[in-house]
Amino acid sequence: MPTVIAIVEDDPDQRENYSDVLKSHGYEVRTYADRPSAEAGFARELPNLALLDIMLGEDMDGGFDLCMQLRNMSPTLPIIFLTARDSDADRISSQRMTAWDYITKPVSLEFLVARVHALLKISDQLQSAPTASTTVSVGALELNEDSMLVRWKGQSVSLTLTEFWIIESLTRNPGHVRTYDALSDVTRQGLVERNTINGYIRRIRNKFRELDESFDRIQTVHGTGYKWEQGSA
Amino acid sequence: MNASVDRASAQNSRQATASRTSRPVRRGLKIRTKLLLLVSFLLVIPWMGYESVREMEKFLLEGQEQALELTTQGISSILGNRSDLFDPGVGVPELVGSSTGNPLKTLEEPLAIDAPAGVWAQAIGELSSFTGVGLYECGADYRPDLLAVRHAMALNADMLFAYFEIDDDRVVLRDPGLLSLDSNDQIRLTIQRGSGEVSRYLLTTQEPGRISVYLMKPNWREVVNGEALRDIVGTLEPGEGGYAVKIRIPREFLGTGARLKFEVVDVDDEASRAIRQIISTEPDPFRFEFGSVRLATPELAKLIQPLYVAEANITVWDAFFRVRAQVGSVFPPVREAFGRAPQKRSLLTQIEDRFLEFFEWILRSPQRGVKDMPVDSSREDRRLLSRVIAEGNSITERRRYGEAKLIVTASPIWAAGNMEGAVLVKQSANKLLSLQYRTLQRFTLLFLGVFIFLGIAILVFATRLTYRVGKLQRETEQAATPEGRLLKNRIRAGSRSSDELGSLTRSISALLQNLGQYTQYLEKLPDTLAHELHNPLNVVNSSLENLQYNHAELSEDKHLQRARNGVGRLRSIITSLTEAASLKEALTREQVQSETFDLALLVRNCVEGYQAAHPGYRIVPNFSEAPVLILGVPDRIAQMLDKLIDNAIQFGSENGLIIVNLRRDAEFIELSVLNDGPSLPDDIADRLFDPMVSSTKDARKTHLGLGLYIVRLVAESHRGTVRAENRRGSRGVEVTVALPVEIRRRG
Repeated sequence: MPTVIAIVEDDPDQRENYSDVLKSHGYEVRTYADRPSAEAGFARELPNLALLDIMLGEDMDGGFDLCMQLRNMSPTLPIIFLTARDSDADRISSQRMTAWDYITKPVSLEFLVARVHALLKISDQLQSAPTASTTVSVGALELNEDSMLVRWKGQSVSLTLTEFWIIESLTRNPGHVRTYDALSDVTRQGLVERNTINGYIRRIRNKFRELDESFDRIQTVHGTGYKWEQGSA
Repeated sequence: MNASVDRASAQNSRQATASRTSRPVRRGLKIRTKLLLLVSFLLVIPWMGYESVREMEKFLLEGQEQALELTTQGISSILGNRSDLFDPGVGVPELVGSSTGNPLKTLEEPLAIDAPAGVWAQAIGELSSFTGVGLYECGADYRPDLLAVRHAMALNADMLFAYFEIDDDRVVLRDPGLLSLDSNDQIRLTIQRGSGEVSRYLLTTQEPGRISVYLMKPNWREVVNGEALRDIVGTLEPGEGGYAVKIRIPREFLGTGARLKFEVVDVDDEASRAIRQIISTEPDPFRFEFGSVRLATPELAKLIQPLYVAEANITVWDAFFRVRAQVGSVFPPVREAFGRAPQKRSLLTQIEDRFLEFFEWILRSPQRGVKDMPVDSSREDRRLLSRVIAEGNSITERRRYGEAKLIVTASPIWAAGNMEGAVLVKQSANKLLSLQYRTLQRFTLLFLGVFIFLGIAILVFATRLTYRVGKLQRETEQAATPEGRLLKNRIRAGSRSSDELGSLTRSISALLQNLGQYTQYLEKLPDTLAHELHNPLNVVNSSLENLQYNHAELSEDKHLQRARNGVGRLRSIITSLTEAASLKEALTREQVQSETFDLALLVRNCVEGYQAAHPGYRIVPNFSEAPVLILGVPDRIAQMLDKLIDNAIQFGSENGLIIVNLRRDAEFIELSVLNDGPSLPDDIADRLFDPMVSSTKDARKTHLGLGLYIVRLVAESHRGTVRAENRRGSRGVEVTVALPVEIRRRG
């Protein structure tokens, strides 16, 4: 059974470019230009993964609406937002709708394919029983690379793929500084500004602090990067 | 954006270069002063009032004059052709000696010549004292204890009674052994009869009792007729410290129109018998005239009595300048103050009294004038009468005695073509003036009240206006920084007011709002632009990638490489555009994330990172190890430092030296980054920290001029300020961020 990827994007050039690259990687692609056609398509056939633009023509939040509908149809369907909108508000909205990833344009197709691969793999893992063997514990933090699951002090932390990769990178060598350049590579977005990294870290911290107000494991090494402080616990 | 505060703007204005126009201040009057000056024009009103009251006074006085003239003429016409009233025989001689004084008292019963002095003194009425008059004759050595005379006269139907009380330290009577009559204490009587004939009588005695009367020659030494006269009867009665003299003269003997003069002659030395002093009943010895005898005509008085005018004195004179009748007085009746015991007066009433006194002084209260009114104005009256009688016309004149004003009219009385006499009416103008004064007082009080009220009202109004204008000015000035950045988009002060100032405030508010919206639009423009650019850029990017993927042989193609480089540059431009735009939002949101941290440590760490990232440059921290604690958002401070270093590298010389300084004084922590590049271009020096301002001319370097803008945003969110200046002494530029030591966390 082929893996079906749905692309909802109002700009035909971009849509076809995504479609081309994914097809050439062996995926079956369904492309939709607007919300009604996408809804109809989803009703016929649920994709294995959805790439959504938030703004669909005149429909400012069309992507969000579609995301909600998809989530109702399948709680484990990987959804990636691929958008030009880079505000925290949009990121928070996408998170609330349990989107798995949020990528801002311009996107590198190479990295896009990598992400799609990664998410599909995680999705597969989630459908079968998660294996404990791949779970790594760093103090109170538990990471399951296969299922993208993160627990802090036993509570699940909902992270996007990029955020997960950053945490994963930071905790690989606790106490050691991850430079901005290293973190930039980890995000798999091509060239990433320091400020973008700072934004990711800020959002990650906020997510942890929602669960644990005293969370202070991610420490800033100004001018260089970040490190995960193991702490006494 | 709103993060900048007063202090920041103050700092900015301090550091604004001279080319910025400072608030234009012009010298001149302020609104309040102008309004108060305007109010002072109101002071013309009391002046006008005063002038009009003065005019009215003139008018009223003329009216009074005319009324008085009419009255006078009325009286004179009533009295005209009544020769009987002016018949010299009809009148009663009234007064001897003084030309003034009251008409003589008329006695019902004749006084007995032998009656005791006490009886005479009681019957004859008030005595006039002559001690002080006739001083010339008395000489400079006059002593009242040696000689003083009190004298009065009275009338009955046939007789004139004269009574003298004489204080004399030594009474020297006539020595029977001596022939001369005048070498002892004596009384000389001079009578000028109506015909003009003058007779001199000497009254003397050898012992107390009857007095002998001799007709004398003008030298008072020789007798005309040696025989004592019997018509004039007198007695001398010794008393305590002197003697009393009673004289009785038949009125027949005097005839009509007679004038009398008495002289009391004092001799003290019995041996030499020289005359020591003479006291005369004639007030002015120089005039050598005799006191008029007033011939009161009771019928006349009865006739003019009903014509009485308030505070006026009406006198009727005959052609011989004798008063024939008199009614009324120019003095207002004195009001007695009834038993008002002097109460303990409070300070307030004292002040009030002082004020009233001052007030009366200012307004010239006519009450004071009454004091200046002379008791005797007969000389002026005579002068006027003589003119009237000489010219035969009515004459009116106004007299002033100090503050007292007197209107005098005189009108001749005719009888069958002959002038019988004249009527003289005097009236005080002070009564009229007191009316006027009361008007003036009321007016002044009213005006003063209105003036004070208006003055206060205008002062309050002007102060309020000035305050509002000042507040509006302050708010307007605070609405934007000297660089022209808007700090707020609304003026609160007085915007609800319905007047012009309120609408001005609203206009300014609307202007600010429009400006604010426009500014917002301009500020959002890069963000919007970036957002719109993302999609086509993504198309180009993904197309290039697809091209490369599908045609692996092209991956080393130089044109494809250049296209990808171009995309990369475009992308970094867009990224920096969005960074600046999102930073503003983020900074406002992150205020709550402020924490206290060691700025020195942060800067040192950052500098190490930069040194590692830019091995070609020397980046040197130039400050001590001591911690510099500051409250702020460390990430943003680091971001700011990133931009400062980027800027220093970009505009510094190739592989140059970059120095990072950190100074701290009482108020500010100053972080500065110095490079050794070219000086600041003058044309953009003022706008260096504004977005999209850059001096770079190198087309391949992507520099949008957002770096220093981000520095400014971060600094301002920490209530700090930024400035850039050329290094003193050496080549290079120093960019400094000054952060206040105390950063108050904003609610």
